[in-house]
Amino acid sequence: MSSGETAPVLSTEHSEVFRNSRREAIVIFSAWVVALLWAVPYCYFNGYGQAVDPETFSTTLGIPSWLFGGILLPWVVADVFTTWFSFAYMKDDDLGIAGDEQHSQPATGAEGGGA
Amino acid sequence: MNLFTHPALAVADSNNAVLYTFLVYMVGVFVIAWLSNRLLKSRSFLSEYFLGSRGLGVWAFALTLAATSSSGGSFMGFPSKIYTHGWSLGLWIGSYMVVPICVMGILGKRINEVARTANAITIPDVLRDRFRSVAFGLIAVSLIVFFMTFNLIAQFKGGSEILRTLLAPIDAFASAADALPGWLTGLSSLGGEYVLCLVVFGVAVIVYTTYGGFHAVVWTDVMQGIVMVIGVIIMLPLAIGQASHAVSNGQGGGLEAVTRNMARMVPPRKGTATLSATTPGAAVEIPSGSWAFVKEGDTERLFKIKSRHLIATGQSEISDVEIWEIVTPSDIERVRDRLASGSERSDVSDVVTLQIKELKDYAYGAKPEEGGSYVVGPGPHRTSTDGFLPLSLAISFFFMWAISGTGQPSNMVRLMAFKDTVTLRRSIFTVAMYYSAIYFPLVIIFCCARVLIPGMESEPDRIMPQMAVELTANIGMGWMAGLLIAAPFAAVMSTVDSFLLMISSALVRDIYQRNLNPDASEKRLKYLSYAITMVAGLGALCGALNPPEFLQDIIVYTGSGLAACFLAAVVYSLFWPRSNAQGCIAAMLSGFGAHLAMYVIGFLKGDGFSPYRFQGMDPIIVGLFTSFIVGYVVTVMTSPPPEDLVRKYFHKKS
Repeated sequence: MSSGETAPVLSTEHSEVFRNSRREAIVIFSAWVVALLWAVPYCYFNGYGQAVDPETFSTTLGIPSWLFGGILLPWVVADVFTTWFSFAYMKDDDLGIAGDEQHSQPATGAEGGGA
Repeated sequence: MNLFTHPALAVADSNNAVLYTFLVYMVGVFVIAWLSNRLLKSRSFLSEYFLGSRGLGVWAFALTLAATSSSGGSFMGFPSKIYTHGWSLGLWIGSYMVVPICVMGILGKRINEVARTANAITIPDVLRDRFRSVAFGLIAVSLIVFFMTFNLIAQFKGGSEILRTLLAPIDAFASAADALPGWLTGLSSLGGEYVLCLVVFGVAVIVYTTYGGFHAVVWTDVMQGIVMVIGVIIMLPLAIGQASHAVSNGQGGGLEAVTRNMARMVPPRKGTATLSATTPGAAVEIPSGSWAFVKEGDTERLFKIKSRHLIATGQSEISDVEIWEIVTPSDIERVRDRLASGSERSDVSDVVTLQIKELKDYAYGAKPEEGGSYVVGPGPHRTSTDGFLPLSLAISFFFMWAISGTGQPSNMVRLMAFKDTVTLRRSIFTVAMYYSAIYFPLVIIFCCARVLIPGMESEPDRIMPQMAVELTANIGMGWMAGLLIAAPFAAVMSTVDSFLLMISSALVRDIYQRNLNPDASEKRLKYLSYAITMVAGLGALCGALNPPEFLQDIIVYTGSGLAACFLAAVVYSLFWPRSNAQGCIAAMLSGFGAHLAMYVIGFLKGDGFSPYRFQGMDPIIVGLFTSFIVGYVVTVMTSPPPEDLVRKYFHKKS
């Protein structure tokens, strides 16, 4: 069927890539849920459905305060989280080598295959 | 204000700069395609042509994903929405704070590994081999071709419209459109300028995609991604500086002054009027976007006439002309200043008389109790009394960008192409920084545009090029507008080329090679790939000559529909060892059906192509929930997958 089937011996234990990527996916999904639960309620309760007095309307750095606290601030936090996740949490795994990589390694040597 | 040169001269410079930038840009694209084609000669053709030999490094992988996701909408539709609805767009786009990590991090590592294990180069390939099911592969191919074909036609039209918007002020462009042969312009009901743009845009994309394949697409994406971020970085300080200068009469005050000015704004009124010449019987030409002041007692009302009109000699009047009344006092003063400085095109107050027939306030945002609607939620809306972004839609868009983006096959196929996990990690970080540098700054820039250029509600899609010309003309650097204006064009091109390649890969790899002729030679596959890519592109180009109605709605439908079909099926296949072909096919088809049902119900209720919104939610949420639930139920009710498949894709290779 596929040329990737070079019949390696398979154990009954889940592979490291699978376990790591599943754990990482759960962490990321949780981060999305936290972002949703913070951003939408914060913006709704602080920036919705109220007439505004232009002179006393609350701003932070020129941005409406409800948007600063609800989106911009968590955006910075999300970037810090992404940085931590990318450089400290996410594991480097061996993704294997596909059949087409085995058959045609380029002259430039650009492919690494992660192996 | 105009520190270095007269605005009219700067605008002329800008128009030429657009043309020069466009030409330089196209040369760059073709050079990249030529270099990419050379790579094809030394590698496995299909893997290289459709997947770049799984060798993308950080910059290529990060920017191709970022640029493909940022379609023309990011640089035309999004600015237009910000201009029309104000600061609420900050919440609308808010989930982009986690989009990079979601889109790349949730599926990236695992789909790349499974694709390598299966030796797959397309998404249908992955699904077919993961479950050893030819039927699953064919269903996936059918859905991709169905959605992508409609989307491609819509994107071709979008690209042509953007090009027409950009080139419209250039005299040579109008002359070239007039010179097109009649048989060619007769093919489309949208006129010669549209046909010219469609042919230029379409042929360019088809040629470089066909010739260069995946690497050409990726490296043009990189170039386009760089153009986009540079455009935003240049525009941000210029916009804040000039807008605050405008609202505070040179006193400064920064973004604070701009926001306070926006808090005083009231949405304009839209309506119709009858126009007649002030001098009876005289011929009058009224350019599009002309302004007319109408005196009523001590006050003066200001109207914008949207389209070009001509009152011929002896003609008494023109009826049902679309007009917009500007009602915010500071906006009226600003228009007056701009007319005096030559920044606005035309004041026809002295030559035309307006008889107002009908004027309508915005459904939300015009009443005193809704004051300040441009700076608080849900934002003004012309037709909906719920405003632009009610709570249910705010939640929907958090799903839409992050979760629906994760379920796009065009993103998934890029996740199969990165080199290793180091590349993935660094790319997640890079795209996060890239989006941070683009999306919220765009909100700020086009809130400033509300202050700088009043009255663009009549043609909001033109706000991006208009703002680019305005900002650079005001500092006497009109040539820079060309660079800024290239950004939306780059964005739509990078989306179109990816979709084009997805369709051809589905046909060549998934239909022809996997089902009809598994023993096809490399040479045969090569020429077939070239031919199919070109035919698919030309087909979409022909479809776009007379595009179907509701085009923008079709783009939304196909984007969310693909996610409703593919996300649950791919997540189950990658992360759930118990998942089987029946369950994943059920997830895919039920997602498709539930999502489509929302549109059918909306149509039957007489809402045209507007979907029915269950509890106010977007159809994507209904589609995704249905898909995940049905996929789960069918899986547990049917037999487990073959043991050897589970071992192959989930267990250690020792």
